[in-house]
Amino acid sequence: MITSPRLHPLAMTINGQPVQAQVPARRMLSDFLRDDLHLTGTKRGCETGACGACTVIVNGRPLKSCLSLAVQHDGARIQTVEGLADGEQLHPLQASFERCGGLQCGYCTPGMLMSACALLDRTPKPSAEQVRQELSGNLCRCTGYTQIVESVLDAAGATHGN
Amino acid sequence: MVDFEWLTPTSVAEACRLATEYGDDARFMAGGTALMLALRQRLVSPRALISLAGLPELKGLNWDDANGLRIGAFTLQDELARHPAVARHYPMLAHLARHMANPQVRHQGTIGGNLCYGDPSTDPPTGLLVWDAEVEIANAQASRRLPLRDFLVDYFTTALAPDELLVAVHLPPPPPDTRGRYARHMRTAAEHRPLVAVATMARVAEGQCSELRLAVGASSVVPRRLSGAEAVLTGRAPTTALVAEAADTAAHELDALDDARGSAEFRRAMVRVTVRRELTALFELPDPT
Repeated sequence: MITSPRLHPLAMTINGQPVQAQVPARRMLSDFLRDDLHLTGTKRGCETGACGACTVIVNGRPLKSCLSLAVQHDGARIQTVEGLADGEQLHPLQASFERCGGLQCGYCTPGMLMSACALLDRTPKPSAEQVRQELSGNLCRCTGYTQIVESVLDAAGATHGN
Repeated sequence: MVDFEWLTPTSVAEACRLATEYGDDARFMAGGTALMLALRQRLVSPRALISLAGLPELKGLNWDDANGLRIGAFTLQDELARHPAVARHYPMLAHLARHMANPQVRHQGTIGGNLCYGDPSTDPPTGLLVWDAEVEIANAQASRRLPLRDFLVDYFTTALAPDELLVAVHLPPPPPDTRGRYARHMRTAAEHRPLVAVATMARVAEGQCSELRLAVGASSVVPRRLSGAEAVLTGRAPTTALVAEAADTAAHELDALDDARGSAEFRRAMVRVTVRRELTALFELPDPT
């Protein structure tokens, strides 16, 4: 006999908006954001916690959304890449990634932006070494990282990119 | 991933009662970083997950001068890395925590979850052994304390009974004149599971080492203190020759794993070189290499 899984009610604040939903316990946070809420900026990469493409900010902490269940975050405040820009006005990090060439194929970019955003919220003027440390959970197979680090430093007003 | 019940107790007693009721069909979930991978690969398919996020007893990272440090089991790895009391009294542990896994995992993974998983290649068990850590364990009726070395029973196996959970880790205040180090040896720079992990703590005054504690992880089924190597330097003035002797002794007394990640012989060789380098740096001796 096939029974439908029990649904759990969730109430969250996502990118400043209240969201209510019902999910089975097994729904991963990454799938909840993409498939249920259609916030497809958050990418599924390795789905094993290695690549960081699915990084979102939960209650101020950057997390890999493929490594947790949506039900773990009932009541949480979540920021995804869709919440960075203010209308047509890019977030300073998005503007600096564009200006400094901090992306090529773009697949890792939402995760890079969210990790960088969490870093700058905590450490507004990081050193290049701190940027490298805090982005070490995000893999990029195109850029070689140099321009990503420059983009983050540029957004922090610490230096000018190429 | 097969669906499961999601249980959200609000006390240790309630969580333990649920564990008793469900037995092997349930798993506790703290941060969930390791459990999620096992669920996704269907290495485990529990009927229920018992969330530990709502248990106030498991929260908090507190220092006091008499009792030392209490690390609540739900303490995030990132909290251990950044707490001022950890940086002040156990700088080696702060360093260890700052370099665990990657930033996102440190914001989700907990110290208690790490210890209960029993993976010998992760950092906390090895690092905590040299600070004489004790674990506080509870079931629905009572709690007990035991040394961390007795908690780490075997490969991915702890002393927890099915109805018990880890509440906190306790570290006594460090003795005076202590210094500590922690290092991992990776086969390649891109790896994040070390082949060898070495934690050291020594008391040094007026050129004499009155006590040395040395733990090796990742190369045996559980991280262990190596008492033979410790004895080589205890009560002596450290020299390059004694450090080399201690490193040889450590390599010899290690009950080395022999698996696809490294043969027992290779692991012993890497334990020897890592211990020698770590003790050389710990005692500020000239590097002979």
